[in-house]
Amino acid sequence: MGLTRRDVLVAGSAGLAAVVLLRPGSATASDEAIGLIERLTGRTLTESDRLRLEMPAVFPTGYTVPMMLAVDSPMTELDHVRHVRVFAPKNPIIEVVGFRFAPLRGITRVSTRIRLAAPQYVVAVAEMNDGAFLMTKTWVDVATNGCV
Amino acid sequence: MVTPVPRVQLPDIVAMGEVFQVKALISHRMETGLRLDDKGAVIPRKIINKFVCRYNGAEVFSVDLHEAIAANPYFEFYLRATESGRLEFVWEEDGGAVYALAHQLTVS
Repeated sequence: MGLTRRDVLVAGSAGLAAVVLLRPGSATASDEAIGLIERLTGRTLTESDRLRLEMPAVFPTGYTVPMMLAVDSPMTELDHVRHVRVFAPKNPIIEVVGFRFAPLRGITRVSTRIRLAAPQYVVAVAEMNDGAFLMTKTWVDVATNGCV
Repeated sequence: MVTPVPRVQLPDIVAMGEVFQVKALISHRMETGLRLDDKGAVIPRKIINKFVCRYNGAEVFSVDLHEAIAANPYFEFYLRATESGRLEFVWEEDGGAVYALAHQLTVS
């Protein structure tokens, strides 16, 4: 079983408890999500427009929300994406999915369907071969909890 | 549980160097381990936790799936045609079961 939201919250500072109560959709909700993922990955994330995470802004059910992820990368031996992870910080289990692409063997674009427990920022983090961690996020409003 | 059925959709013939789309789906409940049965006991987790695509033996795309992947996991991804050969698709389930499919690709 992966890291749960509870593990991270317990490990985090007591101050975090106050942050969790903030209204979703606010700038602070976004900071909270990113802070959580920085602690999870142990890396500083750089927001980048080389990553695209396309999801519907509003979706009726949390059970099967479409998601398209693309990374702008030449995918050569010298410049490629090692690994992309997607997180949903308000889900009971935060990590959603991880993708690995092979240099020269395709393009870095993938679509799937995910579950979301609540309206939240979904965050994608790409580890590039030079060690940089790039990040993008997108707000998704779901009407029903898809994680029960 | 109903036996999971894997399916893939991709071309049989592709031009050399061309990027082609692959659609892969397996029918699977993706039981998250977060649900309770009617007696209040936890229904144990049973999900597909790994998907791998190999092209003539080389791993070209793989996915680590967690609980938040929707039931009947579906992936649409893109590969470059580099040589004729065999594409293998493997889904690994919690508990060690493996489901696999193969597809012959001709590169012209």
